[in-house]
Amino acid sequence: MHETSIVNSIMKTLEMEFEQEKLDKMKTIFLKVGKLSNIEPRLLHNAYTAKYPCGTKYHQVKLNIESTEIKIQCKFCNHITQIKNYRFLCEKCKKPSKNLIQGEEMLIHKVEFDD
Amino acid sequence: MSIKKSTKTARGTVQCENTNINLLKANDYVADIIRSEMSKNKTLLINITSSAGSGKTTLMQKTAEKLKDKLTMAVMVGDLETERDAERIRKTGIQALQIVTGGICHLEAQMIHQVLPEYKLADIDLLFIENVGNLVCPASFDLGEDYRVTLMATTEGDDKPKKYPRMFLTSDMMLISKCDLLPYLPFSVDAVTKDAREVNHELEVIQISALNGEGIDEWCDWLLKKVKEKQNS
Repeated sequence: MHETSIVNSIMKTLEMEFEQEKLDKMKTIFLKVGKLSNIEPRLLHNAYTAKYPCGTKYHQVKLNIESTEIKIQCKFCNHITQIKNYRFLCEKCKKPSKNLIQGEEMLIHKVEFDD
Repeated sequence: MSIKKSTKTARGTVQCENTNINLLKANDYVADIIRSEMSKNKTLLINITSSAGSGKTTLMQKTAEKLKDKLTMAVMVGDLETERDAERIRKTGIQALQIVTGGICHLEAQMIHQVLPEYKLADIDLLFIENVGNLVCPASFDLGEDYRVTLMATTEGDDKPKKYPRMFLTSDMMLISKCDLLPYLPFSVDAVTKDAREVNHELEVIQISALNGEGIDEWCDWLLKKVKEKQNS
């Protein structure tokens, strides 16, 4: 159920952002989803196909989903750590941090349209 | 709710320069409306999340009993079906409305916004959203809350924070519920606290039992402090 909500959100968000005329020419939606976002790319593809089966208007639109690692930036030493096993700790100075710079996002980072 | 639409014409294969649109922009936009509504009325909004059956509704009942003479409290409760939880909470004498999601596993800001007119916010000091019992998707949806509180029952096992990191990362408080059962369960409060704080080092933790009253005073004091801060903001 979560994934169908996400598909609805994607379309609602795009409808807020672009004119319908333009959306009709949409070809590919590029998403960037962090490993913390609780989005499973395969299920999102399935939900998309279920929501827009053959014959519906966004059926031809492709979803391109990129999954991103979790990264924090230490507020004390500025070091960037890629988080493993959900230990939110700076690998350099060992201080805890929840200053996420990547991994939580759910972004539509590019949309391609046909001519 | 008017949002400026792009009027750029599509030519060739257009790449929308730096289009870093948050996928939940529509939700977050409504969440901000709720947040400003709460600020205007100085109502503290708390989003309660947990797995199913960890004692959210019982906690709401206990909290209502403890606090109803000290402040005006109300609840909105989300479930897939039935009015049962709202009925239970109403028995304590406070306003409670049920949001039936009809199968959706979390609450979204739009659902909260829709029921807000049913509440006289100006008279309400503390409004709880009892989210759908689920540690996964409710973590992603901002409802405009001031604080997110996650309940974790001792019966669930002490391994949950690492299994559902996002929920614990985005929470301000973890309430370990059903602590009266600790003598009978292989559950380590230290282990769960350590795990949860590895995910979120700022997480506050209180052990509670709605049955014998353990920790309920501490929880209510925390709420009173936050209500006061909100009213002085």
